[in-house]
Amino acid sequence: MSIPFQELLEFDVATLSGKLRARDISPVELTEAYLGRIEQTDGSLRAYITVTDTMARKAAKKAEAEIAAGKWRGPFHGVPIALKDLVYTSRVRTTGGSKILADFKPDYDATVWTRLKRAGAVLLGKLNQHEFAYGITSSNPHWGIVRNPYALDRIPGGSSGGSAAAIAARSAAATIGTDTGGSIRIPAALCGCVGLKPTWSRVSRYGVIPLAYTLDHVGPITRTVRDAAMMLQIIAGADRNDSTASRERVPDFSAGVGGQISGMRIGVIRELDYGLSDDVAHSFNAALETLRSLGATVDHVTIPSLPLAGLMNGIITAAEALEIHEEWMRTRPQDYGDDVRRLLEIGMMTPATSYLRAQRARARTLAESIAVLADRDVLVAPASAIVAPKIGTTQMLEAREDRVEVVAAILRFTQPFNTTGQPAIAIPTGLSPDGLPIAMQVIGRPFGESEVIRVAAAYESARGALPAAPEIA
Amino acid sequence: MPLVTSETVKQVMRDLYGYEISDADADAIAHSAGAMLTLAGHLPSIGLAGVEPPFGYPVLLAEAARLAKARS
Repeated sequence: MSIPFQELLEFDVATLSGKLRARDISPVELTEAYLGRIEQTDGSLRAYITVTDTMARKAAKKAEAEIAAGKWRGPFHGVPIALKDLVYTSRVRTTGGSKILADFKPDYDATVWTRLKRAGAVLLGKLNQHEFAYGITSSNPHWGIVRNPYALDRIPGGSSGGSAAAIAARSAAATIGTDTGGSIRIPAALCGCVGLKPTWSRVSRYGVIPLAYTLDHVGPITRTVRDAAMMLQIIAGADRNDSTASRERVPDFSAGVGGQISGMRIGVIRELDYGLSDDVAHSFNAALETLRSLGATVDHVTIPSLPLAGLMNGIITAAEALEIHEEWMRTRPQDYGDDVRRLLEIGMMTPATSYLRAQRARARTLAESIAVLADRDVLVAPASAIVAPKIGTTQMLEAREDRVEVVAAILRFTQPFNTTGQPAIAIPTGLSPDGLPIAMQVIGRPFGESEVIRVAAAYESARGALPAAPEIA
Repeated sequence: MPLVTSETVKQVMRDLYGYEISDADADAIAHSAGAMLTLAGHLPSIGLAGVEPPFGYPVLLAEAARLAKARS
């Protein structure tokens, strides 16, 4: 019980879990350490919308008593986590990052929170995000601009910007994000975290404010691949409250962590291996060399319709998001941030014919991807063409080609796997010379999270520790 | 590019949603929507003949069962 607070914050969940179970660490002390860290950093970061300190202390005391009594609930028992503010928490404000829901307190919990709470997790609070998850900057006009812990003048990515910033800043041990076009993987990539978007339907969406029903995914953002696997283990699986949640068997996602990848076949997606900034290209190529050095076979593959998968995603999101927001767009359009209102207005001009065509086209891209995966175990691609841009930047000059739109330079790497629903993990590959995180994605077959986790964990182990974000004043 | 005009955008906002937007905003939306519609027109080029939309009857049945259970 004498580990300094600062040291407690450095442990990943897997390490914490062992120490909590062995009672080398107290959940109460650990929770106090995290609450202190939030207080220290969040004035700068704005990663949190609501800090549930009273609730957290109560839950930590309960966890401590249970563990002392030998009633260990599993690896998240007593572990302080936080949830993106799209996730319903009973009687706790759930804003979706909006002004519209600024005072909304649900009367039930989302399934993901029900499962984490049952597993003994301690809720530190609700995390800031891009308004209603419709954007990738997390520059929130209502709850503050979320800042990247690696450089406070840069975006953390989004929409789950607070979820990633909190991990990088050590103000949560693990977090939950959501991903409709890249909103788990993008912030994870730009903040040097691990972000796992599972297969669509693998995790219940019950009680999660939707952006686009057929593209939304819920998943973990963590410090390590092992932690992501452990968190997914808790939240995955069928749910009687979500008829779209898959009944597919839930395997032991951690089984492949620490395993070999010698002999595995990895395809590099040709359609995503261009237009990278020099720093990203260098880091991605080095990561491919690392995978080869681990004994994997790495070659290029092609998915011809993949360049259109982002368009499919954009059309579907425009239509479904407007359906969700239509009443508020009639009654409270002035209460949206300008960028989100603009996107919803574009949805007003999206014909049903385009929507249905985009939905039908998804199967073509997924079929091509599955065909490629018939003789590959996983696919890989960069997670973004660029490092985190400065807040307010709309174009970047540093890509090899011409000036690129920031949104396009990021989303084109992530959106396709929302369109196909395949599992994809973002994992850091290093830092740029400016000290900004760079990441790649590992993509699997539908319900092939285990292979994705196995490859990502092997790479992570070979890569070594990523330098932590600078200390935040 | 399909002709989505700023006038059309303004009329949709006014008639269906009950608010007015500036000419500049309407222009920007018309441009974005027009580009999206143009690109959407290219989607059949990847081969969509006979491809069904991904809305299965099993989901409809499951959702109906869930709602019926919640009601009882």
